[in-house]
Amino acid sequence: MSTAPEKPDYSTYPRIDRAAARAAAAQLLGLSGDGPPAPDAVWRDIERFYAREARLLDAERHDEWYALLADDLFYWMPLTENRFRRDRRPTLSPEHMALFDDSKADIAVRIGRLTSNMVWTEDPPTRHVYCIGNVEAFATPIADEFEVHSTFAQYRNRSDHDEAVLFGRRRDILRRSDRGYLIARRMIVLPQAVLLTKNLTAFF
Amino acid sequence: MRDNIVADPARAADYVNAAAGTVDRRIFWDPAIYQQELRTVFYRSWLFVAHESQIENAGQFVTTYMGEDAVIVARGDDAAINVFLNSCPHRGNRVCFADSGHSRSFVCNYHGWAFGLDGDLKKMPKLGLYKATPGFRMEDWGLRRARVATYKGLVFATFDETAPSLDAWLGDFRWYLDAVLDVEDGGSEFLPGGATRSVINCNWKFPADNFVGDIYHALWTHLGGSEPTLGRHGGVIVENTGSYHISVNGHGWETNDSFLGNAATMGDRELLRYMRSRQAAITARLGKFRADMWGAVASATVFPNFSFLPGYFTFRTFQPKGPTRTEIHAWTLVPRAMPDDIKDRFRRGSMRTFSPSGILEMDDGENWEHSTRANAGYVTRHQTLCYAMAPGGRIDSADLPGIVHQGQLSDANQRLFYRRWAEMMDAASWDDISLAPVTRAEAAE
Repeated sequence: MSTAPEKPDYSTYPRIDRAAARAAAAQLLGLSGDGPPAPDAVWRDIERFYAREARLLDAERHDEWYALLADDLFYWMPLTENRFRRDRRPTLSPEHMALFDDSKADIAVRIGRLTSNMVWTEDPPTRHVYCIGNVEAFATPIADEFEVHSTFAQYRNRSDHDEAVLFGRRRDILRRSDRGYLIARRMIVLPQAVLLTKNLTAFF
Repeated sequence: MRDNIVADPARAADYVNAAAGTVDRRIFWDPAIYQQELRTVFYRSWLFVAHESQIENAGQFVTTYMGEDAVIVARGDDAAINVFLNSCPHRGNRVCFADSGHSRSFVCNYHGWAFGLDGDLKKMPKLGLYKATPGFRMEDWGLRRARVATYKGLVFATFDETAPSLDAWLGDFRWYLDAVLDVEDGGSEFLPGGATRSVINCNWKFPADNFVGDIYHALWTHLGGSEPTLGRHGGVIVENTGSYHISVNGHGWETNDSFLGNAATMGDRELLRYMRSRQAAITARLGKFRADMWGAVASATVFPNFSFLPGYFTFRTFQPKGPTRTEIHAWTLVPRAMPDDIKDRFRRGSMRTFSPSGILEMDDGENWEHSTRANAGYVTRHQTLCYAMAPGGRIDSADLPGIVHQGQLSDANQRLFYRRWAEMMDAASWDDISLAPVTRAEAAE
């Protein structure tokens, strides 16, 4: 028997089907921040959760970040186009091309790439600073799920002069569980219609 | 020995030595060479501007670029596709700021000059102010139109009235293009949602050269990206048996005969199952050689800056934005007849591999940026780069049009790309630019 470590079979990792992804996208698109505010204690816990999440990502502690994802995760960064205001087509749609449209299994593949030790463009590593702000939390019809809106600034720097700054907005459904808060759905919207950096080697 | 510290040569041909397999690094840096490219390469070439599926109905439009010239691509009321400059002839302002949409006219924000779907000037506020101007005619002040032609859904345009036809420009490359454009009845379409666009600080020729023939880089650059999806299956495997470099008029395609080699790296078994289910029908339609190209380990560039990857079906332009800046505009192309669920799998599969967040594309950009940036160095810039790999000889086969070399691990297509580039750079007119004879008059049977 070989002693080489078995490579993960990502086809067995958690994945939602397309109908569930569409339903998740519809829910995220409908989150308008008009519901009853979450209790202050919940809001404080969520602020703390986001600060830790950002710190884990900055430190490339990917496995610990992965543990914050619910098994039915829908993780979505839709594309933005410049459209006239009179244009009646939906600006963001789960049927459109996207920058992320992921189940938890897809996130595992991305982490598999980063931890392969063969991604030469991340060696020496990129340095990240991820700032989260404007956190607003609202109750939802499900007792342990909260609608959370936030903004972010993500600074990346590598090599000598190579830097990328991305700002954006996030809409999350966070689920309170016996493992703490979990990210069940996340929509990330970048204001850039043309991504002014060469890649998105990062999580948001 | 390899230093080339001499005055800049007068001819582009002196920057490219196809026989020795060297290319002068100044062509990836020099602003004067870049300006000459806009005049001689981008102005003269048929450039990809849209897929017909993006502008199916009268009034639909997209905006894009031809070289650095902003253009509008609009479907007219007569169903014709019109391509014209996106710059008002009055004071020069950009006319249309949307990426896509539906409109009856394009009205300049500055003074309200309004243009039709054919680019003609239709009206402006207080037209009477021009009544006293001797010889003023509305028809003299439309948006400058380009010639337009299509090949199986792909829309190309050129501003050069002396350029040969699109069919002559593509030549026998059309026969190979059918391996991605004509695999099913009903033609192809771009998946919805517009272009995925991103900026890379590199010279536009590095990505074009990468797609025209460089599978070699995948064996090293993409080791990390292919590890999670292919690692269980032995990593990236590329051989020079059963694989080829194909070149026609500087357009180039490197491929093997694996049918599913590229597609497999998307890690979606349902996609592979579907593609296998179509193999017999596509082979009957296109013959074995071209059917095997459909999802193979392969990449291609339509000269100068329109590239695609069989298997993932990402199609992209490398828009020049100065000698050291390139904007990638990318779409995913599928047969219209494909089931919706499979189309959606390609949408996600191409996104997860070849988009700015794709596990393979993310490996590429930094290579091209630093291949460009290093030429800031005076001594560095006066070196030549090595395009000498020539493991397989030329294949002369009546079955395979164009210049075909054995083996996809090769620089053959790249040398022919740069030879074409130099030929267009140095030509005084289209009379000095060669075109390969067309041997497949009807590309598709």
